[in-house]
Amino acid sequence: MVSGIRITPGFAVPFGEARLERCERLNRELEALFLARETAEYRNPTPSHLPQAEMFESRFNLFRWPERCVQELRGFVLDSVARTVLEASTLAPADSARLQMHNHTWFHITRHAGSFVAHNHPLASWSAVYCVRAGERIAGQPHSGALRFLDTRAGADGYLDEANRALRAPFAFGVREIRLEEGQVIVFPSFVFHEVSPFYGRDVRITVATNCWFT
Amino acid sequence: MVEITPLFATPFAVAPVAGAAELNPALAALLRARADEQHRDHALPDDPRCFRGREDLFEWPDPAVLALKQALLGGACAAVMAANALSASEFDALGVQARARFVIVRPDGCLAATTVPMASWYVVYCVAAPPRPAARAESGVLRLYAVRQASMFMDAANWNLRPPFATGHHVWQPLAGQMAVFPGAIAHEVALNRTAEDLLLVAARLRFANAGQTTVPPW
Repeated sequence: MVSGIRITPGFAVPFGEARLERCERLNRELEALFLARETAEYRNPTPSHLPQAEMFESRFNLFRWPERCVQELRGFVLDSVARTVLEASTLAPADSARLQMHNHTWFHITRHAGSFVAHNHPLASWSAVYCVRAGERIAGQPHSGALRFLDTRAGADGYLDEANRALRAPFAFGVREIRLEEGQVIVFPSFVFHEVSPFYGRDVRITVATNCWFT
Repeated sequence: MVEITPLFATPFAVAPVAGAAELNPALAALLRARADEQHRDHALPDDPRCFRGREDLFEWPDPAVLALKQALLGGACAAVMAANALSASEFDALGVQARARFVIVRPDGCLAATTVPMASWYVVYCVAAPPRPAARAESGVLRLYAVRQASMFMDAANWNLRPPFATGHHVWQPLAGQMAVFPGAIAHEVALNRTAEDLLLVAARLRFANAGQTTVPPW
């Protein structure tokens, strides 16, 4: 008779989450700046996916902008990535301090019925999404504007019975869906496929995304 | 001379359904009339922009549904057999099981990405599709995700491989009267319908059993 069994997550995917305290002022400054620059000059000239009229994607140089609000956000987001790397890896702090972090960073402005197809980010190790403005929550549309991460265990849920259909976190099969809140950042490995569900709010949803790699 | 062959290929079949032009109007009228609470799948979240019926469509006695069932199973079996190493007689000895539902993707609606459990093959049939807007190439498409073979290393010589070696998502534009057949394990979605009309689909999970097989798992 087994008296005790220890269960550990194998092949686990690390997700980091942090919140920027008192983010309202910063987010309103960012929002005003991004909306003012929702122009052809700042639009990503080489999008990797079919562009949508409802979704504006900026160039990938956001964190090189000199504006104080952008630099403040840069500090928070990249620090969140760095802390996630430290927490999730066996790197010693001294070793990680010697690494140089590089990033591509951009913003998205999503309007009614805007979405983003599932993708991942080759040639990067860590990605993050920060929420500047969550956008209107619509009753009866719980998936509106949600950030959805696809299960990395492709095919694992092909056979389901009563003993694996209701696995608890972190073992459950299926998509992980996050409805971002303002000031929240999610850090995840760049290999994880993710998408943005159609946003049905009447205002705008604004996020900042970054891909990081280290040398 | 270099010979290149596709390894780890995914079968994806598209076929017209015979008699669809006559069948689809009756089918569309029936499905629209039954897009109600009684026929909605209550195991799934209610979505005002996407109606999903219960997975009992193939048990309906209506003539239009019976005709569709026969046509879809025939077409799907032909596709599955074409992708199989089984001989025709071996394949004919198999028993086919199917569960089907109808889906109405309304304007600004979509079907979120999913895979199909407890089945080997999935069939998507288009009953009615609005014309695709010229500027919205992805409106209402069935998109199959290329997740399986994705690599995180990319360089100038692997990012733009030609079919069938490219690793991007595969897109199929539903056309009334056509069916698509693919493995149920492939993650897929129906992209946002950016027209002012409904997209009517029938989707069926399929699996096969050997003659006399008694240990078929429940759906």
